[in-house]
Amino acid sequence: MEAIAALERDAELMLRVRAGDDTSFALLLERHRAPVVHFLYRMVQNQPVSEELAQEVFLRVYRSRASYEPTAKFTTWLFRIATHLALNWIRDGRKEKGQESLNEELLDGIARQVADRQPTVEQEMLYAVKLREVRHAIEALPAKQRAAVMMHKYEELEYAQIARALGCSESAVKSLLFRAYETLRARLAHMA
Amino acid sequence: MFCMMQSKRGAEILMDYRARHLDPASRAEIERHLENCNECRRVVEAQRELWETLDRWSPPEVSENFDTRLYARIAREEAEPAWQRWARRLLHPAAPLALWKPVASVAAACAVLAVALTVHPPDHKTPGPQVHAESVDIEKVAKTLDDLDFLAPQNPM
Repeated sequence: MEAIAALERDAELMLRVRAGDDTSFALLLERHRAPVVHFLYRMVQNQPVSEELAQEVFLRVYRSRASYEPTAKFTTWLFRIATHLALNWIRDGRKEKGQESLNEELLDGIARQVADRQPTVEQEMLYAVKLREVRHAIEALPAKQRAAVMMHKYEELEYAQIARALGCSESAVKSLLFRAYETLRARLAHMA
Repeated sequence: MFCMMQSKRGAEILMDYRARHLDPASRAEIERHLENCNECRRVVEAQRELWETLDRWSPPEVSENFDTRLYARIAREEAEPAWQRWARRLLHPAAPLALWKPVASVAAACAVLAVALTVHPPDHKTPGPQVHAESVDIEKVAKTLDDLDFLAPQNPM
């Protein structure tokens, strides 16, 4: 019930944005900023790029406010735009490796350290190795499988929403997820 | 005993079970099956371990100045001349797939039909037996073409 109310609020807020209420846009941004940035981060594995793409997502939402119609869930629309931008970026091969990837791992490590209250150096190193394996396993997935897993696992979107975001049928989404999870299980089984 | 992993549908149901997408009655039924099926139990356990592993991946916090930068971009765009904003909307629509993919898919479906008619044109000279032409659901064809394209092996990068 709460989830349904939240979805209705999203549509209601966006309709207010359409009517010229920028405060409602700020509320939508507050609610969806982190999920969109985190989704894009897991897709492109580069924080500056993920934030740049996320800004483009919200920019396009704001840009099209005048013609907004609540024909689908707001989150479906949001992640459709985000997925499109992420897949384009991956396809265009603008990923930068090397120093930036190392920085990402350091950032993740710092976040982990705060959460774990000063783990040992050995624990930190072990965590960094495991994290690197997870990231590489995700990165090795074909882009659309990756997007489907990100939306299914981390954003907890329904199959219908993922299907609309990816522009395919629910049946295709289930096949994608089945294959992706099978691949990830095989690759990460030793980490369990 | 029937093992759910032997069928694609069964495997999908196990995935739904692990993701907690099933209603309570279906969950109970699956759990009864899992008590007696080693293979399915193994798959469900492996999926649980995978999700726990994926949970370890926490993204960094969003930058504090994210909103400031976004609003600055919005303000810059709003200050542009109208023709420039229209050009951008044309080149970068909010939901490009919504606009173009169905059109492209229907066009592809029509191309398939055109080829079919060219290869097997209707025979006007010799009237054959009465045949009821099947109506072709273009949307279905378009959707199938989409799915085939979608499920085709992808280059990982």
